[in-house]
Amino acid sequence: MKKVDPTFTTVKKTVCPFCSFGCEFGVVFDDFGVRGVEYIADGSSQGRLCPRGSAAALYLNHKLRSSMPTHNGKVLDWTKLSKDLKKALEKPANMAITFDRNLTIEDYHSILGFCNESGIDNIASSYFEPESLLRSFFRNSFTVDDIGKANTILVVGDPFNQVPMLSKSLIEWKLSSRENRLVVLDSITTHTSTFATDFLRCKVGTEPLLLMALAGEDPGSIDVSENTGVSSAVIADIAKSMKADNNGLILVCLCFAHTYDSRFLVEALDRLGSYSGCAVIPFVEFAGFEGNQQFGDILDKVKKKKIKYLVNFGELFPFYYPQVAKVLKGVSIYATSPIKYKYHTVLPVALNLEKQGTILTNRGQQALSGTISPASGARMIGEILGLLKSTKPDKTALTVPKSRIDVTARAKNILAKTKAPKKKKTLKLIGEKIAYDFLGLFGDGKIKINPLDAEALGLKPTDIAVLNSKHGKAEFLIKLTAEVDPGIAAIAAETPEAKGLFDYDLTDNIVNFIPTEVEIWRKG
Amino acid sequence: MAKRIVLDLDLCCGCRSCEAACKAAFNGEARIRHGDLVGEAYLPLACKHCKEPLCLSACPVDAITKDEVTGIVTRSAMVCIGCKSCALACPFGVIDAPLIRHISQKCSLCSDRKEGPRCVAACSSGALKFLSDDEIEKHQIGMRMVSKDSFYRRRS
Repeated sequence: MKKVDPTFTTVKKTVCPFCSFGCEFGVVFDDFGVRGVEYIADGSSQGRLCPRGSAAALYLNHKLRSSMPTHNGKVLDWTKLSKDLKKALEKPANMAITFDRNLTIEDYHSILGFCNESGIDNIASSYFEPESLLRSFFRNSFTVDDIGKANTILVVGDPFNQVPMLSKSLIEWKLSSRENRLVVLDSITTHTSTFATDFLRCKVGTEPLLLMALAGEDPGSIDVSENTGVSSAVIADIAKSMKADNNGLILVCLCFAHTYDSRFLVEALDRLGSYSGCAVIPFVEFAGFEGNQQFGDILDKVKKKKIKYLVNFGELFPFYYPQVAKVLKGVSIYATSPIKYKYHTVLPVALNLEKQGTILTNRGQQALSGTISPASGARMIGEILGLLKSTKPDKTALTVPKSRIDVTARAKNILAKTKAPKKKKTLKLIGEKIAYDFLGLFGDGKIKINPLDAEALGLKPTDIAVLNSKHGKAEFLIKLTAEVDPGIAAIAAETPEAKGLFDYDLTDNIVNFIPTEVEIWRKG
Repeated sequence: MAKRIVLDLDLCCGCRSCEAACKAAFNGEARIRHGDLVGEAYLPLACKHCKEPLCLSACPVDAITKDEVTGIVTRSAMVCIGCKSCALACPFGVIDAPLIRHISQKCSLCSDRKEGPRCVAACSSGALKFLSDDEIEKHQIGMRMVSKDSFYRRRS
């Protein structure tokens, strides 16, 4: 019998899989399992680690970590489950395969190989975060040393909250010379914007219009200054500064439901990059993969009752997007998840931290060490697929055909949404991405409300607010702050409760979450 | 020589990496916290490990002690009765009043970790530092923020 030594610990070095920055850290083990994380001073980030990395041990040891397959909360055995899925596979035309986050490149290839050999043609991404649209910008490799070469940096979003590991280089660059110009574009005041030389605080959802104007384009003769709230002289000055800088950068962090048209925003970024010569650098939690069609195409087939089974590989869908899952009436959903849920069929799966494989980061492809054993009962994607069919990986990456977007129509659509009349006693809810609120693991996610709105709604700082949208209801603590304009509320969209409130549209069959009107009142 | 955690106001980006590192290491109990400074900034607050700690004087059961060599003020979880006297006595408000597990949460400068406090190691912007009194003098921490020079940092 093995003797337990309470003083024995071992540290296993790994790459953080929770965002594209690719920090290294250690996971500390003793004879009883995972004890915590260690900050390794000689690692790629010199031991520094954002809240996501610090949360790694909590996630690995999560009290709701799933160990057995379940159906609506009741335990199933793997034999019964594989038998059911094999039966469904007899009619591959009735099956859809989707995938979101927590996958390695090897997992993706295994899934495509499985689809090929099983004859499944309905393959789509269920990663509905707008950052997945930034995947094409990963062609620009990036290290923090590139910041030092620039004189003008345009930041879209709030990297100090989303990618805190970027903050040290960015702040030091800003403070190193009076010539360095940090321009921040956002619709709310953020930690990043407080460091900006120029803060372009635009009206909610109008970021694409401003980026188009910076790129010297005028879709549909729109008065950009009036509609975005940023003066045309400032726009012209910043555009000139970006164009003059041969090493300028555009650093992009996109949030869930922060703007009206994420696809248009990405198009505008592409055009601004080409116009100014500045490299567009994306920062994401996960870069995402593409299928052979958009998720909206799957929804169309569900409406026509052509799809009866949906198998999702990853960790978010359907649990984090309940409003989309609700549309899949009559479809049996099988979803891999590291966490237990009481609905749908849940297949326990290993986390990326527990896998050997490759992930895409800002430095290119990085290897996961796989030195951490999967939690009890959790299986690898390859093992799950192997239960159904013995297949070989397919290494061709899928790409959904992209239609050229009509920027004039898109711009008018944004204006229509911005100017739509507001119902009484409602606020426009937008999403934020805050590393500290990652998956609610440290969670004290508060809703930000302007004090003027709070007064009108009879809300006080210590109150709990009830939010009600057409998709659901949830409760949050309140933070009164002028960081958001009157009429706007902002929340970290990191949990199913928060994400589940937001509305979405399906332009070009892309699931696009948008700022959403919500009723707010005090609980009790 | 005794070292303490210091914050460079110029560099803090408000990401709460320090708080997350502390929570992750101490069963969800944050011993470093963040507070709004009258709407100007969002900054971490940690135990100062005072030379003459009022929390120590206030503790009725001697759960709080001070190491004369390292200067670290520690709280024994076994002895603490959760009376909140230390939280009320602390002039900086860094001991949390809403008590978890009926014991107070008190920063020990991660005395179990030889490399120093985890919040300092994790700090993503390099704003938190673990310095001796002599080093603090040299760094002139927060000069730019205090000088209010709009070139360095401003609230838009």
